[in-house]
Amino acid sequence: MTTVTPEIRAVYGAARPGPMSLVAEGLRDIWSRRRLARYLVQADLKKKGTDTLLGNIWWVLDPLLQMLVYVVLVTLIAGRAEPDFPLFVFAAILPWKWFSAALNDAIMSVVSRERIIKQVHFPKIILPVASTLSGIVNFAFGLLPLAALIVLFYRDRLTIMLLLIPVIAIAQLAFTLGLAILFAAINVFYRDVGNLARHLLRLWFYLSPGLYSIDRIQHILDAQPVVALAFALNPFTILFEAYRAVIYEGTLPAFDSLAILTVASLALLGACTYLFKRLEPAFAKVL
Amino acid sequence: MSATRPGDGAFAIDARGLGVRYNLRLTRRTTVRHSFAHLLRPMDGATHFWALRNATFRVEHGESLAVIGPNGAGKSTLLQVLAGIITPSEGSVEMRGKVSSLLTLGAGFDPDLTGIDNILLAGEFMGLDHREMRRRLPEMIAFADIGKFIDAPLKTYSSGMRARLGFSIATSVDPDVLLVDEVLATGDQLFREKSRKRIEELIAAAKGIVLVTHDMNWVTTFCNRAILLEKGEVVAEGDPADVVALHQAHSEQARQEKEAEAARLQLSGVL
Repeated sequence: MTTVTPEIRAVYGAARPGPMSLVAEGLRDIWSRRRLARYLVQADLKKKGTDTLLGNIWWVLDPLLQMLVYVVLVTLIAGRAEPDFPLFVFAAILPWKWFSAALNDAIMSVVSRERIIKQVHFPKIILPVASTLSGIVNFAFGLLPLAALIVLFYRDRLTIMLLLIPVIAIAQLAFTLGLAILFAAINVFYRDVGNLARHLLRLWFYLSPGLYSIDRIQHILDAQPVVALAFALNPFTILFEAYRAVIYEGTLPAFDSLAILTVASLALLGACTYLFKRLEPAFAKVL
Repeated sequence: MSATRPGDGAFAIDARGLGVRYNLRLTRRTTVRHSFAHLLRPMDGATHFWALRNATFRVEHGESLAVIGPNGAGKSTLLQVLAGIITPSEGSVEMRGKVSSLLTLGAGFDPDLTGIDNILLAGEFMGLDHREMRRRLPEMIAFADIGKFIDAPLKTYSSGMRARLGFSIATSVDPDVLLVDEVLATGDQLFREKSRKRIEELIAAAKGIVLVTHDMNWVTTFCNRAILLEKGEVVAEGDPADVVALHQAHSEQARQEKEAEAARLQLSGVL
């Protein structure tokens, strides 16, 4: 007996599906191939650990060293640090590393799989999703030095609020996924995206209140309403403030802004998934 | 029991007027600068290229179809369409049953992962059931015959070992429709014997086969029908021996023309 699987129908369907069905198909792709995503994440983690002497210890060491660089930079050179600056900046480094590594990986995720894309039919959307997810694992490992830092040096800042980190991470995940999917697709057609992204990401970090508090630049924001608007619309203003609230200040994060960010990010994710699915059929031809 | 439509024989592949158009502006290594340049000079040369056009054929159950033709004729493009990798720009194709393609071997290999990890990852890319994959793992490792290297990263493999592993993964399937692209000549003599036997088994088990190859012996031995592709169009279809003869006549003619051209160039002092 012969059967046509739904998968095959989807591939050969002649009529162009509408936006909603494309988004639904994209989400189904992700869900049905979650094991592929898991394997890709595992492969990524294995690879990152094998070539170095210290192996996976680098996951813990890396954010600590980056923290050290910023502490030296801001306290010694700029000379105007927040109190308990190492913890202050660590609360921003951790989520930012996830975000920037995920985006940089995702941008290359489709083009670097050129050969298999031309040989095997599979939902390409899994590739940027896996990049984003492997960032989560790094983020989770970064929580270890964070916990150590708090317990050893800043025990007075240890609060129950730390348990809210995953809630903020969900908002960040939604936002990161959308951008990762979008740029993975665009980079297939314009390889410039990869070159540009590294610099733009760095600029974005400095323009977000990661190394400084929003209070410190309040006078600029008051004087320049356009800058103030840009800061208010920057998702990483909301995210950094929220992480800092639970990690550094021990207060509740601004749930209303987090909720708005999550909803907006889900809309973005939908739009980017649609775009990806529209462009996907051309990947094998263009690569 | 088979799911046939009224008036249809049981077929594995039904392709109607397949065409694949490449947009030359979007090919490899586009940058924003090029796009702007094209915006300014929109009528700069041909913008499209048909790699395949008007391909209509049908593979009945039990049939194996050979696709032959010179390089760049659209053979691989056709196979990519049948495998679902490329969506046709025009026409349609219906595939019945589970489709599996043996395209170039080792496509998704990651040099930093071990042999086992690569097998499992390739299985996931191909959408194979992971339990089935794990169950077949010992068999595949044995077939590839790479011994304890299976736990070493792929970058330590010789090219022969890599090819054997690729073949072993690609053929660990039992499809209804099998698409084969030039995978036959890999490895040493011994492995070539073994792989030939494996392909014969697959061909015997599949309901329909499309074979793209330059090896005319394979065409006449394993296929009961052949199509000849030239410049993206089907120029002949029929008995393998006849189509192969036509193809060889055409290549001979092309070769002679090329020689004559080269001789002319040489005479005029260009070379």
